[in-house]
Amino acid sequence: MSLWENVKMALDAIWAHKLRSILTMVGIVIGVAAVIIIVAIGQGGEAELTSALTGDGNNVIIQPSSKFFMENNGVIPPDFITDLDLQGLRQIKGVENVITLSYETKSLSFREEEVDDVFIYGMNDNAVLESSGLKVAEGRAFRPADFQSGNAGALISHKLKEKLFGEEDPLGQIIRIGNQPVVVTGVLEPPVGFLASLQEMEVYLPQRTWSNVFGKSEIMQVMLEVDQPENMIEVGEKAVNLLHHNHNATDRYEVLNLQQIGDMISGITRVMTVVIGSIGGISLLVGGIGVMNIMLVSVTERTREIGIRMSLGATRTHILVQFLIESITLSVIGGLVGILLGSGVAALITLLSPWNAVVSWPVALGGVLFSMLFGVIFGLLPANKAARLNPIECLRHE
Amino acid sequence: MIQLEEVDKAYQMGSMTIPVLKGINLIINEGEYVAIMGPSGSGKSTLMNLIGCLDRPTSGHYYLNGEDVSKADERKLAAVRNRQIGFVFQQFQLLPRMTAQKNVELPLVYAGVSQKERTKRAIEALEKVGLGDRKDHRPTELSGGQQQRVAIARALINNPSIILADEPTGALDTSSGQRIMDIFDQLHQEGRTVVLITHDPEIAARAHRQILLRDGQIVEDQNQGKEVSG
Ligand SMILES: Nc1ncnc2c1ncn2[C@@H]1O[C@H](COP(=O)(O)OP(=O)(O)OP(=O)(O)O)[C@@H](O)[C@H]1O
Ligand SMILES: [Mg+2]
Repeated sequence: MSLWENVKMALDAIWAHKLRSILTMVGIVIGVAAVIIIVAIGQGGEAELTSALTGDGNNVIIQPSSKFFMENNGVIPPDFITDLDLQGLRQIKGVENVITLSYETKSLSFREEEVDDVFIYGMNDNAVLESSGLKVAEGRAFRPADFQSGNAGALISHKLKEKLFGEEDPLGQIIRIGNQPVVVTGVLEPPVGFLASLQEMEVYLPQRTWSNVFGKSEIMQVMLEVDQPENMIEVGEKAVNLLHHNHNATDRYEVLNLQQIGDMISGITRVMTVVIGSIGGISLLVGGIGVMNIMLVSVTERTREIGIRMSLGATRTHILVQFLIESITLSVIGGLVGILLGSGVAALITLLSPWNAVVSWPVALGGVLFSMLFGVIFGLLPANKAARLNPIECLRHE
Repeated sequence: MIQLEEVDKAYQMGSMTIPVLKGINLIINEGEYVAIMGPSGSGKSTLMNLIGCLDRPTSGHYYLNGEDVSKADERKLAAVRNRQIGFVFQQFQLLPRMTAQKNVELPLVYAGVSQKERTKRAIEALEKVGLGDRKDHRPTELSGGQQQRVAIARALINNPSIILADEPTGALDTSSGQRIMDIFDQLHQEGRTVVLITHDPEIAARAHRQILLRDGQIVEDQNQGKEVSG
């Protein structure tokens, strides 16, 4: 007896009790759909988180080594990166641009409104904004001349604009960072995606303006734009060596390893996926028990059928396989519907929310195999019960 | 040839052992037409189930065509039921969801015959019992007599040498019963061994040998009116 014939027989039996079969499948459908959706959100979220934190460009970031940072209690000395260092870094082969970043928190005011602990960044290139995915919504980004001037304007974050200006037009207004007046020349777009919640009170200044405001010129971070991704590791090593040589030091600078951060993020999201996925698995388990229950009912109802088949030459194995395939068919249909439902919901999530839910092929295939496995596990007991029946008693069964 | 030697059959009910068949010795040769009679509870169906390999004797031997099947395994018995025996039951025992044709095909499914061949043979078998035009009807769309003829077509599909019928006319009116008996007469003429259980002496008279069972023992065995010794 072929597999296809068994499947046809199973479909007949399932079709004969449409409503009951559908209700039985609901558990499996919801379980599989839940797992598909959760994994899709997890994978989509991971992709987004990784790209948001590591940027799209080929950037090597040089930062104080953790040992140096600890030894100095988090205070970075004024000569951490000097103009000489910057010149040297520019000459490393493969480096297209050297971008510097300084930051400090400071209170900030506009008229009577005052905000404490605003992050004030100083930068020598608009590339800092680009690598963080920030765009200018109102006003303009800095021009090359602004980076030369000691008193250029400020770009403020969307949240800060709302806080200080409300509905008023912020462009051209003068805010005070500490005691220093600065003109607002632009407002940044609010960040999109699920990072929106991380939106902060931030101000971006050209490096020289920043130095004037804080009366110091220390650079905390250097970002090297590299021509090709393959050169990133080599450029990073050369840069660290150069800085150590210039400062006659060891273990003072290090490359911020984005790959490592990416791996860490994947690790975290993977754990999340597993945890939440197993909650979906529990609903699958409940669905599987539903299948077992209905298969047991089915065996009892069809006792006479079993007797008839045996009297006509069916072996116990034939009967076992028949009921096993019926339970597998039932759960796989449920699984397929669950995958469709899950993919549909994932597509809706992608469409209606900033979240990007991705249903991957391996996950869908896994869903099918999983429901198949459930069919076997929860079909074994009923099928075995059917196969052990006595044909004479079955034929007498009402 | 069916050959039973000192066959006992007992059922276990809790701690009690209920003997149903006691020391049955019986030989039915190929091509015989046999009626088994006896009061209710005398063990007729039990005997027929043993002959049909639906059950095994508690003790004694059963040789079917010379082969001892009293100790055969389940797989072997299923094969015997599939190829050598055709069952007809009082309650027809058709699968209600299937059409007449699909019901008739069932033994061929377990014999591993292809769908094409099954369809051809099922239609032939239905035509043989006069139901060629009813092949797509479900059992509920057929009269009792027609259902029993479908069951006979099913019993014949694998061309078995032995037909076993447990009160085949028991649920039918007289004229439908007559029609069924005509078919059994014909099967006997084709050379098959036909064994049927009946309470009706008129039906039993159509067979050539009558066996009377009482309390699990053969008390009378008449071949064409003559007493069979042994
Ligand atoms: N599974 C069983 N367990 C216990 N006792 C049984 C079982 N099957 C049959 N019997 C007993 O065996 C005896 C013979 O039963 P059987 O069905 O062979 O009778 P029968 O001659 O066919 O009767 P009828 O004419 O009413 O069909 C009965 O007393 C019955 O109660
Ligand atoms: Mg009986």
